[in-house]
Amino acid sequence: MHGYSGKILDVNLTSGEIKMRPIEQDWPKKYLSGLGFNARILHDEIPPGTDPLGPDNVLVFGVGVLTGTAVPSASRTEASSLSPLTGTFGTSNSGSHWGGELKYAGFDSLVIRGKAASPVYLWISNNSVDILPAGHLWGKDSWDTIREIHKQYNDEGVQIATIGQAGENMVRFACIENGPYDAWGRTGLGAVMGSKNLKAIAVRGSGPVRVARKQEFLGTLAETRAAILGSPFFGPVSRFGSLLAATPFNEHGALPGRNYQKGSIEGWTETRTRKVLHKYSNRNVGCMACPIACAHWVEIKEGPYAGLRLKDMEVTPLLSFGAGCDVDNLPAVAKLHETCQRLGMDMVSSGNLVGFAMELYQRGIISEQEVGFPLQWGDEKAVLSMLDMIAHRKGFGDILADGVKRAARHFPEASKYAMEIKGLECFQVDPRARWSTWTLGFITNIRGGDDLRTRNPVENLRFNENPVPYFTEKFNFPDDIYNGLDMPEPLKKEIFDPETKDVNIPKMNKWAGDLMSVYNSLGMCMRPPVLHTVGPTLFSRLYSALTGIDMTPEEIILAGERIWNLIKLFNIRHGEKPSDCDFPSRFYEEAVSAGPAAGRKLDREQVKNVLKEYYKARGWDEETGMPGPEKLAELDLHQEPQNIKFNSF
Amino acid sequence: MYKILSADLEKCTGCRTCELVCSMKHHDEYNPQKSRIRVYNFVEQGYFVPVVCLHCNEAYCEKVCPAGAITVNYDEKKGVRAVQISKEKCVGCKMCIFACPFGNVRFIEDGYSDKCDLCGGDPECVKSCAKEALKFKEVSASYMQKIKSTAEKILAAYQQT
Repeated sequence: MHGYSGKILDVNLTSGEIKMRPIEQDWPKKYLSGLGFNARILHDEIPPGTDPLGPDNVLVFGVGVLTGTAVPSASRTEASSLSPLTGTFGTSNSGSHWGGELKYAGFDSLVIRGKAASPVYLWISNNSVDILPAGHLWGKDSWDTIREIHKQYNDEGVQIATIGQAGENMVRFACIENGPYDAWGRTGLGAVMGSKNLKAIAVRGSGPVRVARKQEFLGTLAETRAAILGSPFFGPVSRFGSLLAATPFNEHGALPGRNYQKGSIEGWTETRTRKVLHKYSNRNVGCMACPIACAHWVEIKEGPYAGLRLKDMEVTPLLSFGAGCDVDNLPAVAKLHETCQRLGMDMVSSGNLVGFAMELYQRGIISEQEVGFPLQWGDEKAVLSMLDMIAHRKGFGDILADGVKRAARHFPEASKYAMEIKGLECFQVDPRARWSTWTLGFITNIRGGDDLRTRNPVENLRFNENPVPYFTEKFNFPDDIYNGLDMPEPLKKEIFDPETKDVNIPKMNKWAGDLMSVYNSLGMCMRPPVLHTVGPTLFSRLYSALTGIDMTPEEIILAGERIWNLIKLFNIRHGEKPSDCDFPSRFYEEAVSAGPAAGRKLDREQVKNVLKEYYKARGWDEETGMPGPEKLAELDLHQEPQNIKFNSF
Repeated sequence: MYKILSADLEKCTGCRTCELVCSMKHHDEYNPQKSRIRVYNFVEQGYFVPVVCLHCNEAYCEKVCPAGAITVNYDEKKGVRAVQISKEKCVGCKMCIFACPFGNVRFIEDGYSDKCDLCGGDPECVKSCAKEALKFKEVSASYMQKIKSTAEKILAAYQQT
């Protein structure tokens, strides 16, 4: 095959059986690759009632079909499983170099099932796979594990996915580290690996990714590259990466300060934004084939964390620890980030959990005796200790290790401080301060409280605020970006007001979900300016020339919608209820206390109405959010298991 | 003065686009293992070092080749002096691979040795480098200063591993 390797590697850790099977013939057009293949496999193989941490759960890695080629920013691999945190579709996307290596080793997807009798790791190299003992690695953190395996094979080009102690101890938000500095972070996939006694997956390959129509492909690739490099966002994102968002979040009062008690933080810009980045980093690090290289290589030269070196200083650890726990300096945030990387824990959930515990402490719901030490806001040493206790399930950490929804059940009145949606700790931006397509995405996201599955091509937190309207947001981009937007013209006219160019939030949210499914299925990174630039047209041309399988832009985006719907079906089948698609009560009941967004809270009715509009845009039942028979027929999903009770709500 | 391929380690982000475009240009496939330029990642130092043929004045590979497959070709206009392997003449003895002190000659499974030929003076890797870390230019005194500081970093990285 072209583009695809054409093979799925299927490893049963209980029996030791290793199978290599071809991808099904109709999968490429229907599910593309990556996330799409994962959704298909999980929906087929995980029946309701499966224990996420039992041997029957299945963990899948799906490499994007564009990954391993020189398509700019196409480095991504999706990992998916039944989530031990949410009980529904657990999924996470990561870049770096692991996915490309799996392709060169000969596989598009890796399926892992069963449970090894004792700790093992996988060694995958050019169509061969070994299940090897990992007793010597068990108990080691992810950095030491990677170092050990690199030493063993005498090659730092071996790409390694591994868990740290958190995954071994089945912390429900443990992640799978992708090399030392990247991760399949969200929804607890590391705990699934730990439950299977699988410590690491080391990959080295020297096979080809072949191109069906070379000249056409290289031409389109050059066009894609020119569009990305020509964007006005290319320069700033290349230098500052996601840290660009840190300043406006504070200006809009949208920080999750002290577990969403403070929308803006005094001294924030001077202590924790790109203003001070140059003190710690002057070099960038890129994922495979990415011209942007948004990540920073950080070296802390003085102070208590002198000597610390890592890929860091992105907005996520900053919001989690710098705002959520109010840790007031970047070196300490870097230390906490490193700790999460080494222990193998999702830094969004980790920051959220520690922030939650700090708020309980602030309110006197928990005491120093219960915790073992004071949990004061901003006390980085306390956060460090707590992270270690969570990863090892020690003392109070054992309660937090089950995620904020479960942890809150241990204490009276604690649920209202548990900031989660569908069991997934919220990504750290406050929707009360700035309502947008992005924040609506927290509740429409198929994996729970997180924004990344509904990023839209004109999101612009940097430029404006959106205090009141629930249904629209201002478009503040240059006309060039509007005109060049890769979106079918009729839809463009539906989503944007022709005069003001105001964005229709529910309709854009649907488009964003479908488009991100395409991104996650093809292996493309959603970081702007890629997000602003590359849509179904470029994807259809890249895909068709690469694989030789012709797909129109309409077919590409329809595949994205199919994948989104299939995951929704999976979730409903595994117990997701309509009422789960809602914000934590704090956002409705408590107004932002200070800063530019002071006094704002969400209106329950308005949110309900906008969600209805979103369901309507999706062709789902307006009340239940169930994909109806017509929509399923349109997507060729009407044959899916019908044990879903449409009227059970 | 002839031009050389060199890398600014402060600018290289390790994206390996150079490896991908090189393998596509010369082998019609994306496959870093067949790329003539390789980027070594010092994982814990956060440095990425592109390594590629230096086109030695006294090329050991040329000297040991028993088949006359390795020649030095000049294009004065373009400032190119390239030590090149003829795939057709190569007998696959691998002597050049043993002789190269830098690991810059590779054996391709089809049965021949392969190395950088500077793409006739317009190297694909340089064109593809978004950060302009890879350069193809003449050696000058100021450039030597940069090379020295680069070499110091390579040495430091080497000594730390």
